[in-house]
Amino acid sequence: MDEIVSVEAVTRRFPLNHDRTRNLVSALSDASLGVEAGEFLAIAGPSGSGKTTLLNLIGCIDQPTSGRVLIEGVDTSRLSPGRMTALRREKIGFVFQTFNLIPVFSAAENVEYPLLIAGVGSHERRKRTAEALDSVGLSARAAHRPDLLSGGERQRVAVARAIVHRPALVLADEPTANLDTHNATQLIDLMHGLNQRLGLTFIFSTHDARLLEHTDRIVRLCDGEIQSDSLKEGGFRGQVPALSLS
Amino acid sequence: MGKFLLLAFRNVFRNRRRTLMTLLMVGGGVAGLLLVGGFFARMFWGLRESTINDGLGHMQIFTAEHFSREEKHVLDTGIDHWRQVAGSISSGGHVRGVAPRIEFNGMLSNGVKSGVFLGSAVDPVAEDSLGFTPRLGAGRDLDSKPGGEIEALIGAGVARSMNVKPGDGLTILAVTADGALNGIDVQVVGIVNTGFKEMDDRYLRITLPSAQRLLQSDRVTNLVVGLDATENTDEVAAALAPRLRGQPQQLILKKWIDLAAYYKQVRSLFSTIFVFLGIIVFFMVLMSSVNTLLMTMFERTREIGTMLAMGTPRSWIMALFVLEATLLGVLGAIAGVAGGNLLGLLLNHAGIHLPAPPGTTVPMAFRVLFVPSLMIGSSILVVVSLALAAILPAVRASRLQISEALAHV
Repeated sequence: MDEIVSVEAVTRRFPLNHDRTRNLVSALSDASLGVEAGEFLAIAGPSGSGKTTLLNLIGCIDQPTSGRVLIEGVDTSRLSPGRMTALRREKIGFVFQTFNLIPVFSAAENVEYPLLIAGVGSHERRKRTAEALDSVGLSARAAHRPDLLSGGERQRVAVARAIVHRPALVLADEPTANLDTHNATQLIDLMHGLNQRLGLTFIFSTHDARLLEHTDRIVRLCDGEIQSDSLKEGGFRGQVPALSLS
Repeated sequence: MGKFLLLAFRNVFRNRRRTLMTLLMVGGGVAGLLLVGGFFARMFWGLRESTINDGLGHMQIFTAEHFSREEKHVLDTGIDHWRQVAGSISSGGHVRGVAPRIEFNGMLSNGVKSGVFLGSAVDPVAEDSLGFTPRLGAGRDLDSKPGGEIEALIGAGVARSMNVKPGDGLTILAVTADGALNGIDVQVVGIVNTGFKEMDDRYLRITLPSAQRLLQSDRVTNLVVGLDATENTDEVAAALAPRLRGQPQQLILKKWIDLAAYYKQVRSLFSTIFVFLGIIVFFMVLMSSVNTLLMTMFERTREIGTMLAMGTPRSWIMALFVLEATLLGVLGAIAGVAGGNLLGLLLNHAGIHLPAPPGTTVPMAFRVLFVPSLMIGSSILVVVSLALAAILPAVRASRLQISEALAHV
């Protein structure tokens, strides 16, 4: 089994005010977690339980106060800011609760963006962007700007953007929170399908019961501590053969 | 790079009203500089040409002694063989003509009242051929024909002080080249308004033969050279220098700019004012743009956080903000140049006249010159201002904590 993410005794504290040495509040305490390639894993818990903090630490957009996070065996705490940026660019795809698309770019240009910053050539960018949009069923909406797309379509564009550069890991922070039931179900099916077809590893935070039903493994957080880590009966935990987008 | 430029360009037009306001401010700054600078340039040009055409000429030739020592008597340092020198110079390219002059001073009297004068003696034909026509308020110019009464032009202030008009007589007294006192009677044929009150109160002009008779000398003070265009001054000066070296007396050539002290003072003063205006525009654009760009950065905090999370290098975020500001500057400069030129054109056709400048009596026409170097300079100024204004927001944007930026509402 290949462990793609390893969270080892991670604690994250935040200062309550500008004095960064006193009045620290603990958002995550001594959390340990291992995620294998191809998993479809949910981090569940009420608001303020530390879900986003844990995702931020796994996504290398925040640093733990203590403990360490390893991505594909690389200790992220030892990486320079530049290498950390490169790691996010190459290994991780992000899906946000509020979609976070670049408003002045079309759907296709938004999907193309991770390839642009990775220095992929224009011909290859166009090809992979078209494939990614096709995989989320939005080829016909490629030229539309985000403000002309529905919430569900925007989130599907965000998913296409997260997978277009073929990352090892996709992190989704409350991806269905801003969607109605119909769109939320469609998105869950889409992400699960990509997990199954492409072998992409998905880690997402949620307290959406509809999403939890589709997961293989649920890590429950409460007050910054991991309360439980349960594998669904018959749930998959391990690597599936990676397939190409096409 | 193309997509990045496209992103910057689209971001510029994201908030159209704000962009329009910034463009108005930047364009207004450029247009203001063009109008003020164009007006100053027209004023400098007008002053230059009027200085030259009012009698200074494009070049003047003196003996070297004229500048190295004080004269004991009038024409003590004058040019001896001036006809030979003038002939040699006249044959040069771009030379329209050469006019000999004598500068002298003395006293004049109407029989009741006396006063001092600053006199010049000229060859009316040579002066006329160079376009050096005195600004006559009354009467006529000097007649070059020999014989008859000795004619004189006097300033309006002299005429008022001496209570004379064209046709009246005056006596002028001067010290000769030998140091003796000599006097001649002249007939006033014209009253001159030089535009400068101090000059009008002392002005006297007679013909060259009359002055040589009065001063008992065949010398002249200097030779004034007129060219076909002011722009050829340097070229002709360089070509004439070797010819002057072959003369019996040591002669030196002075270009108009070396002799136009008033022009240089005016130009220096107004250039300083223009630089000061440029600095004001620079800081105006800089300060207001910093505020606008900071506002833009705060509004896009979450978007920047998203771009950083996806692995966009922080240097790219900085470059994006500087690029957006530079684009805004370029668009503002284009708008400013277009608007400034249009306004200049309208003002030039409006026939506006300004009051006479201090020390002069003639109202000044308000005209704006279209100076390409000024357009380029003003444009560069605002583009640089905006690029500099973007540095603070760009640095702040690039240093955002990603997790905090993503949580920004």
